Amino acid sequence: MSVSIAICTGVLLEGSLELLARAGVAELDQKQLGRRLLIEKDGVRVVLVRPADVAAYVDFGAADLGVVGKDQLWENPGGHFELVDLGFGACRLVMAVPEASGLAGPETWPPVLRVATKYPRATAGFFAANGHGADIVRLHGSVELAPQVGLADAIVDLTATGNTLKDNRLRVVAVVGSSTARLIANQASLKTRGEELQAVVKRLAEAVRRG
Amino acid sequence: MRGSSEAILAEMRRWGYRFVVTPTLESESVLSLGLGPDQRRRLFRFADADGSLLAVVGEKTVPVARLAAGRLRSARLPLRLCYAASVLANDGGRFSNRRETHQAGAELIGAAGPVADAEVIALAVRCLDAGGLRRYQVDVGHSEFFHGLLAGLRLDPEVEVGVKAALAARDFVALEQLLGATPLKSAEQELLLRFPALRGGREILDAASRLVSNRRSEKALDELARVHELLGLHGLAEVVSLDLGAIRDFDYYTGVTFEAFGPDLGRSLAAGGRYDGLLARFGRPAPATGFVVYLDLVAEAMARSGEAPVLPRIDAAVAWSGKGLKQAVRLASSLRLFGMRAVLDTEARSTADAAAWWKVIGATNLVHCSGAATTAWTSRRGKTRRLPPEQVVGQISGAVL
Repeated sequence: MSVSIAICTGVLLEGSLELLARAGVAELDQKQLGRRLLIEKDGVRVVLVRPADVAAYVDFGAADLGVVGKDQLWENPGGHFELVDLGFGACRLVMAVPEASGLAGPETWPPVLRVATKYPRATAGFFAANGHGADIVRLHGSVELAPQVGLADAIVDLTATGNTLKDNRLRVVAVVGSSTARLIANQASLKTRGEELQAVVKRLAEAVRRG
Repeated sequence: MRGSSEAILAEMRRWGYRFVVTPTLESESVLSLGLGPDQRRRLFRFADADGSLLAVVGEKTVPVARLAAGRLRSARLPLRLCYAASVLANDGGRFSNRRETHQAGAELIGAAGPVADAEVIALAVRCLDAGGLRRYQVDVGHSEFFHGLLAGLRLDPEVEVGVKAALAARDFVALEQLLGATPLKSAEQELLLRFPALRGGREILDAASRLVSNRRSEKALDELARVHELLGLHGLAEVVSLDLGAIRDFDYYTGVTFEAFGPDLGRSLAAGGRYDGLLARFGRPAPATGFVVYLDLVAEAMARSGEAPVLPRIDAAVAWSGKGLKQAVRLASSLRLFGMRAVLDTEARSTADAAAWWKVIGATNLVHCSGAATTAWTSRRGKTRRLPPEQVVGQISGAVL
């Protein structure tokens, strides 16, 4: 039986394919993937899914391993082993407010802050840990728009370069967390087909260490 | 599922475990004595007329422990108890939206040591066999191995809390960061980081004992070696592996733990271990070990492996026509008296109709009574013979056994 790996579309795709190739696990290029969502090659099955779905594929055993951003694991905790920090895809989850807003450090926040985000779990955890009240509005995209039209006082969103925030006249007031790509594994696969899987994990971890 | 549940209970009885029925509702404060924060959160709670808080049981070990410490207080230890019941949770967790799941389990209360540990593991495996599973494996670990390592690292209390949380979340990236920030590097720290890979046969114990340097972990390794040897005597060497990196509820388990996995089913089918601390919370300190079989998952694993659920066997379908009813009733009773399963028809049928009805019932044999002294027996192979009624039971039991 082959080892199956779930990787995700979007910003991590290139890094994921590059890592699989560098570790000698599977040689695939983006063109080859094209519109195909499932490829079997060299005894490895690669499935291409949306970032938010990688954890589900791995947790339920449809994939043995997964390459996914830590930001997605904040929203889908438990159910899998998080084995290796793969280093690429670095970004930060930040809280940002409009440049014109008077909000800065926590002492300036109103008692209950209204926050728009695609990351409700991580956001709730952040405010709870700081003992601050927040009404969280869950959005699925264009979060930057929310404060400009009065939907929220602030946003919590992912940023790599800060350009999108700047373009939308938003200013960072707090860092909620830092994220990189992670290698996750199904709990039972790691037990029932331990040797097979550990071999692949080891090759990936070594490729990361070599850089 | 009913079939596997019955077969599993029958296996437990063969090992001398007594079936107990425990309440579905308990005072919330009583249940909470034996549950971790996450399990407490998942309880269905409500208030009775007096305003006291009740909860529906979310697992059966606590009610069984309460029974052993309460109504069975005068019963002498060791007690071997088993149960099968549905349990409720207000949050099915990551893997399921089901509120209600079915569990069967056994608890051995009042027995310490590797022989008791091995008995419970062996029983769990035999229960999976009895339930109809053919492919599975069992990982045996020891919670004290981890506690020894952790104590040996002498971490700041804050870091220690973080290490426990990271392990509980199976987050080895966070674990590495936490341990990387501590000044001391040791072989034991390295062991903790290699947790997911500390799995194998007997040899893994020797490898680990060269790396640990604390009494608690060493003792755990000795116990595991003994349990492994005993499981060999139980004939389970083929299906048992040792997993020093087993991550279980470390605040609950106090010794040998185990989990059974089926193929292609991302989760464990059965799990258990030693919990010597629980009974004391109910006022009767005693060592104890036990396990639970997740019946829904066993059924799912069987369905996946393509083993169609086996319908209960029926030995004889007893049809009748004309004056044959009296004889048919009598024959069906005799068959049952001899331990066979017999279905009596509810209406008169001709010989041809009776054959069609026989197929619907799915019984092994057909008996057709058409008069007080005229009976026809059709065997599995379809051969029909006329027999005097008094010979039918003997013939069928000969054919069935």
